[in-house]
Amino acid sequence: MSKIQVKICMGTTCFVMGAAHLQELVEILPEKYPDKVEVSGVTCLELCSDASKYTNAPYVKVNDDVIADATIEKVLKHIERLLENGQE
Amino acid sequence: MFIDIDCTQEKKYNQNTYGDCFMSKRYPEKGELIAVLSDGLGSGIKANILASMTATMLIKFVEAGRSIKRTCEVIMNALPVCKVRKISYSTFSMAQCNEDGDVKIIEEGNPQFVYISDGKVVEPEFTVIDSETFKNRHMHVYKLKLKLGDRLVFCSDGVTQSGLGNPELKLGLRRSGLIKCLLEKINENPDISSSELSKNIVRIAKNTEVDRQAKDDISCCVIHYRHPRKALIFTGPPYHMEKDRHYALEFQQAEGKKAICGGTTANLISRELNIPVLCDITGSVGKLPAVSKMEGIDLVTEGILTLTRTVEYLENGFKEKEKNAASELMDFLLNSDCIEFMVGAKLNQAHYDPNLPIEIEIRKNIIKKMAKILEDKYIKKVIVRYI
Repeated sequence: MSKIQVKICMGTTCFVMGAAHLQELVEILPEKYPDKVEVSGVTCLELCSDASKYTNAPYVKVNDDVIADATIEKVLKHIERLLENGQE
Repeated sequence: MFIDIDCTQEKKYNQNTYGDCFMSKRYPEKGELIAVLSDGLGSGIKANILASMTATMLIKFVEAGRSIKRTCEVIMNALPVCKVRKISYSTFSMAQCNEDGDVKIIEEGNPQFVYISDGKVVEPEFTVIDSETFKNRHMHVYKLKLKLGDRLVFCSDGVTQSGLGNPELKLGLRRSGLIKCLLEKINENPDISSSELSKNIVRIAKNTEVDRQAKDDISCCVIHYRHPRKALIFTGPPYHMEKDRHYALEFQQAEGKKAICGGTTANLISRELNIPVLCDITGSVGKLPAVSKMEGIDLVTEGILTLTRTVEYLENGFKEKEKNAASELMDFLLNSDCIEFMVGAKLNQAHYDPNLPIEIEIRKNIIKKMAKILEDKYIKKVIVRYI
């Protein structure tokens, strides 16, 4: 059983667009899904540099899925869906 | 050799401005430095004007290569005349130093400087130049050859006369007292920085005064010849992506302390040098992303936001309670002497999206501003390279 990997972008664009609040996920996720999810920050997911494709910072990556305009609720919902679909 | 110079000052009790003036300027292309400590007649604003004018003119004239004798005549004639004392007056000490250790010192009226080599005081020879128009004014000219570890300490008479009238020190601290304090401190910490040593002397002088109230302006300037503390900051991805590896290797092989400012830059170095980035998101303080960790790199921060905040701290001082990434970067910079910036010229389009809630400046401009403050205010040697 591999854990779901949640990566929060801490790059400049994401940070000013709200990633600062997403840091709360570090406390929320392990509490809600013990042993199922691993959260970490990354210096930059380097998505925003492709302005033609990615204009909705902040970004969070859940496994290989990119979540744009990320909020805590959106990330939680995505994780829930993965768990329901038997990701574990 | 690197010339570490700093000056600490204390105002006379009850005055709101300094009556002594310290100025210094580096000429990186010549490997030279000129420093002046001037004491204006009286205290407060009047003294400040006399001292500032003297120091500014001295630096300008010496910069232009004019003879020192002529320079001093011009300065004395140009200074405003004091209404109370009917004279225009200021004293000064000036040092012109280069990185090979050649030092020329000219003193006029200030207490004699202290030359410390191998933990001992050296009393060097000097020649005297008399002023033609001002009878009681004489300049002492010294030519010295300093070596690694040597120090020169300049003071205003506020230091040597501190404690005057104190029952234990009837004549004040005097030069002998100053030397004793200096040698004690250097013996205790042979590598003490100029900043620390000058602060220490000013503190001692103030504590020596009756009721700890400075009777005169107190200034102490220290020049120390030592190995430079080098720092290299890599910020922003290079313009040509195919050169990423080249610059990453150059960064890795450079001497001294290293910092990376920028998420993409950290990723680039991590990819090219195969060093993982450990990002800590629990520690974001003061609305700035937290610092990350990379083996072999002393500091890893986010880019533009942190750099912008660091410029703010360098300009106005750090007044917040908690340390953050920008204050760490500031400490990193201030604890170095020679600072080199490798500035990647690639732009991130997303930073200029008008929907971003805050304005983001162009990296080049921030670094330009930062370099200027580090050079002018903190007397650092700065090199900026665009890559």
